[in-house]
Amino acid sequence: MKKQRVIVLDGEQQNKQDILAISEIQEGLNKMEQFPVYSPDLQWFEQMVLAEKKIIRKKLIRDLSIFFIVAIIILCGIMISLFQMPAVFIFLQIATTIFIAFYSGTRLLKKVKIG
Amino acid sequence: MDALIKNAKKGDHLAFAMLFKDHYPFLVKYLMKITMNPDTAEELAQETMAKCIQKIHLYNGQSKFSTWLVSIATNTYIDQCRKKKREKNWQGQEEIYRKLKWHFESRNEDWNDALEALGRLPEDVRIPIVLKHYYGYSYEEIGEWMKISPGTVKSRVHNGIKSVRKELNLSEETESHRFGRRTTK
Repeated sequence: MKKQRVIVLDGEQQNKQDILAISEIQEGLNKMEQFPVYSPDLQWFEQMVLAEKKIIRKKLIRDLSIFFIVAIIILCGIMISLFQMPAVFIFLQIATTIFIAFYSGTRLLKKVKIG
Repeated sequence: MDALIKNAKKGDHLAFAMLFKDHYPFLVKYLMKITMNPDTAEELAQETMAKCIQKIHLYNGQSKFSTWLVSIATNTYIDQCRKKKREKNWQGQEEIYRKLKWHFESRNEDWNDALEALGRLPEDVRIPIVLKHYYGYSYEEIGEWMKISPGTVKSRVHNGIKSVRKELNLSEETESHRFGRRTTK
């Protein structure tokens, strides 16, 4: 088999080249630092903050509304099943307990396997 | 903690505005360095500020406010890249720095070869290089922000520098060919 000539750079030379590359990168990024950036006035930032806070508030109200509506529907369902159809209520309680136990068990097993 | 930050945490919108006005150029310039695109940088800066308003209660004052902004901006950019890749709206690495290069040339400033090499790198390699070798953050900090281990950050930085080095050597070789010089014996 023909021997291949491989030029191996020693650690020091490689290190020097790395430093050179890093300093070239830094030089380029320094030029970017001198790039003019237009900064809007304080009023623009104030408007932006107010608009963003309004969005956050709206989102919070929407999320809370959805939460309460879903909670009321579930509670109504449970109450109706408890007073009108006790068999369905007992079935739901057992099914939910089994589901939670099964779900937690499989998740725990997965975690143990990964670990 | 700074009085402005304290007031912003209490919900004072003027304090927030002043804080953002002070940090806006720093934020846009950081984003420009990692995105290599001035328009994307400005767009992401606004998104970062919006996230900052939402998460200000999580800022504990252990690090500088600018460092906290950098961490949010980094995550916002990574999320945007993932989203674009999912939507198959990805322009590819070749295109992203063209506008910046044009800006440099229009201002009669030299475009650095290393910047071109940096622009060709994937964003998950470019970000740690900029954070480590320009801003001087530790591998641990970068890893925490990018949700990867410090070892992975270190290897990405190392490989990224290696690629830049190779590309710079390549251009030197091309230049020496152009001028008819021999670099090897």
